[in-house]
Amino acid sequence: MTTVSTTLAIVLTFSVLAALAAIFLRDVLNAIIAFAAFSFGIAVAWILLAAPDVALTEAAVGAGITTVLFLVTIAKTVRPSGERLLEAVEWRSVAIVVLLVGTLLTTVRSLPAVGSADAPVATSRVTEYYLQNAYPETGVENAVTAVLAAYRGFDTLGEATVVIAAGVAVLLVLRQEAYV
Amino acid sequence: MIDLLGTHYNYLVFVALVAIGLYGVTASTNLVKKIIGLNIFQVGIFLFFVTSGYVDGAAPPLVGHGSGPYASPLPHVLILTAIVVGVSLTAVALALIVRIYEAYGTLDEDAIREVQLND
Repeated sequence: MTTVSTTLAIVLTFSVLAALAAIFLRDVLNAIIAFAAFSFGIAVAWILLAAPDVALTEAAVGAGITTVLFLVTIAKTVRPSGERLLEAVEWRSVAIVVLLVGTLLTTVRSLPAVGSADAPVATSRVTEYYLQNAYPETGVENAVTAVLAAYRGFDTLGEATVVIAAGVAVLLVLRQEAYV
Repeated sequence: MIDLLGTHYNYLVFVALVAIGLYGVTASTNLVKKIIGLNIFQVGIFLFFVTSGYVDGAAPPLVGHGSGPYASPLPHVLILTAIVVGVSLTAVALALIVRIYEAYGTLDEDAIREVQLND
């Protein structure tokens, strides 16, 4: 039975605390800073989980661009800051969350242990195919890049379409027709 | 339950993040904080996917040289796509929030509802 490494556990616990702070801090600027710290913690967790590509994207997009977008939004609108430091607990939401947590916790036990070598994803034929054939077939050493740009290239084209559509939508919503 | 802390810690964190995110979306009255909650919910799901492809002591999936075991590349690819789509979604949502502020002069959900009732 494998166990989660202490470093990973500490990083994940930090992330959960930062996420809690982001939701419960009343001042929106404080919440955005806590959210950036959360994204940073998660980016470190991706490195510990052997996913450097995801870590780079999370650090650049999650901690970087998303934080800037939030800051621009409160600069353009309003930053409501109350007299209290924390939000009051909303008990109706707690009830919904408890229902969700209860449902999900019943499934956790049936998942394979973190990092076990006989987990379904690690032993799946798709994983084995990509790891064995990605380099000979595409000449790309990074299997993630090979899958992203070669095997699932149409997926990535769809992703690019989503980004373009989002950019056009933002300009339209903000009535910046000069750029459209 | 306690033994799960050692072997399934990532999945428990996934449940915690999804719970925090859902709480943020439903309980916050400020629209910007709702979007923060949405992002936390989304990262919880990412953690579930990336953890499922991880093998203890695995190297990142750089297969040109060296030998395994490697982490499965497929969850990483799916999550890379999801991160980019997520930030697009956040950008559109925040643009809508800026317009809502222009129209109503507030970002508080309850205050917006009051303005709508008075119109």
